Amino acid sequence: MSGRILAFWAAVAVLVVLPRALTPYQLSVAAEIMIWGLFAMAFDLLYGYTGMLSFGQAIFFGAGGYGTAFAVLRLDWGIWEALAFGLVAAAAFALAVGFFAVRVSGHYFLILTITFSVITVLVLQSGHWRWLSRGYAASPFTPPLVPLGPWRISLIDPLANYYWVLAFVVVSFLLCWRIVNSPLGKVFRGIRENEERSRLIGYHVERFKLIAFVLGGLFSGLAGALLALTLRYVDISYFELTLSGKAVAWTVIGGAGTLVGAFLGALVFIVSTDYLSSWTINVPLSIGLLLVVMVAVAPDGLIGVVRGKRRG
Amino acid sequence: MDIFAQLVLGALNGLVWGFILALIALGLTLVFGLLEIINISHGELYMLGAVLGWYVLQFTGNFWVALILAPLAVGVLGLVIERGVLRPIEGKPIITIIATFGLSLIFQQAVLTGFGGAPQRIPAPFEWDLTILGFGYSGYRFFVALCSIVAISALWGFLRRFKYGMWMRAVRQDREMSLALGIPISRVYMLTFGLGSGLAALGGILAAPIVALEFRMGLDILPAVFIVVIIGGLGSLEGSLLAALLIGELEGLTSVFVTPTTARIFSLVFMSAVLLFRPEGLLGRRR
Repeated sequence: MSGRILAFWAAVAVLVVLPRALTPYQLSVAAEIMIWGLFAMAFDLLYGYTGMLSFGQAIFFGAGGYGTAFAVLRLDWGIWEALAFGLVAAAAFALAVGFFAVRVSGHYFLILTITFSVITVLVLQSGHWRWLSRGYAASPFTPPLVPLGPWRISLIDPLANYYWVLAFVVVSFLLCWRIVNSPLGKVFRGIRENEERSRLIGYHVERFKLIAFVLGGLFSGLAGALLALTLRYVDISYFELTLSGKAVAWTVIGGAGTLVGAFLGALVFIVSTDYLSSWTINVPLSIGLLLVVMVAVAPDGLIGVVRGKRRG
Repeated sequence: MDIFAQLVLGALNGLVWGFILALIALGLTLVFGLLEIINISHGELYMLGAVLGWYVLQFTGNFWVALILAPLAVGVLGLVIERGVLRPIEGKPIITIIATFGLSLIFQQAVLTGFGGAPQRIPAPFEWDLTILGFGYSGYRFFVALCSIVAISALWGFLRRFKYGMWMRAVRQDREMSLALGIPISRVYMLTFGLGSGLAALGGILAAPIVALEFRMGLDILPAVFIVVIIGGLGSLEGSLLAALLIGELEGLTSVFVTPTTARIFSLVFMSAVLLFRPEGLLGRRR
């Protein structure tokens, strides 16, 4: 146990000193990888710990990103208020979708989340929401300055943004770690193992699933908000089904139910698809190919491969 | 056009669309009933049916050849997918779902690269309009409905009368017992996936003269198909057929008054209501 804690702080220390070795471009890629890891970890909370295979996480990712951008662009709010607005938006969407989704499980849950996700994109691109989303056209914005003591820090600087993202990711990781190791986390795992039995023991299964769903939505929303602040624009791609699929892929490839696996999967996938797509194939295609190959080679995820080796 | 005529038109469009949905949803349900996997790339198989049909049409100039060849080609592709991609990870439902998601990305991007991102159209194979209540209605759409009815009847006959069809129903009912009786389960699985893929592609080529062809068209149809199988009850063929016609009519009639996207939202609301009051679907078995 203490070995893991040591490993965690060692990883954080490496991430803190890493910028010295990176170019500004690599810095922004590193920040993006951390954000995608956070997004995948939010999915892991749902799938790896509560057993809910959601393909709809992009809804909350998008809500977080759009909410933050909206508060900055239209309401002219400061960074903390805008971030809070994005998170509230993500949680509200998670509550609305979750209200229906937690009533079903297994394949029904999967289909339901996909359906909600695709229809959200349909609505946003249809023009009903033109005042907010502008369809496929991007809405650029300038992130507000972060007030830190006497200083005002601009997130446009890649280094500042890197540390900004790192801080959120570390805090989120610790929070998730705390959640999954708390009594609440035990209930989540009980539901994952046997929904019926948890119900019979006396837990209100739907309520706990909804809690997990909203928590997952909140962290997804945070990831979306951080990405919006990093890229300095939002567009409809924040909501696309492919994003939800990527979170699933990274988590399962990295190793579900481990939290760390999500980050590992995101790192390995983004670096390798980046490498593959420099050989003329495009990114989604290489993700698809990698997925089909990886599930055949390492169905228990990378963490599973490492642990299996250690055991054997 | 008065409101009554518009409603009749909407109902007709809904009926035709419902039959196309039924073909695709039946393919998905058939696969789910046996292999117990949700095929996320099912929408892409529908898209491939239409796109391959477009290529055949460019090559031969004959729609009827495309109508036969495209579903056959996609059916064979389905056989290959089952044998090559899904069989090695059989019995791991989550992994299988992720693999089908990977496949959907591959198909989308392959079509985007080869076919291009610009939407294309296929002309209807014959120009012949029916006059109903004083307005002309495309005869091709009637042909689509007719074709679907024939295909669906053929599917029912196949499942009732033919050896492989009866094997499919047997495996669906009791896998262990079928194995004990000597039914070649692996071959039945492969054939089922091929048949499901072919049905999606048949829906695609039939819909091709009505809709715009592009690499994203699978994503447009996917929510409708999923709504249909949830309302009908996962794994229930009769339920899928009924729900497809219901959803087709619902979207057809509401489209008279609102945009297609809003009509799709009505379907979503309908599905949510079904889930709240009858979670197993209209004709699904109680779990």
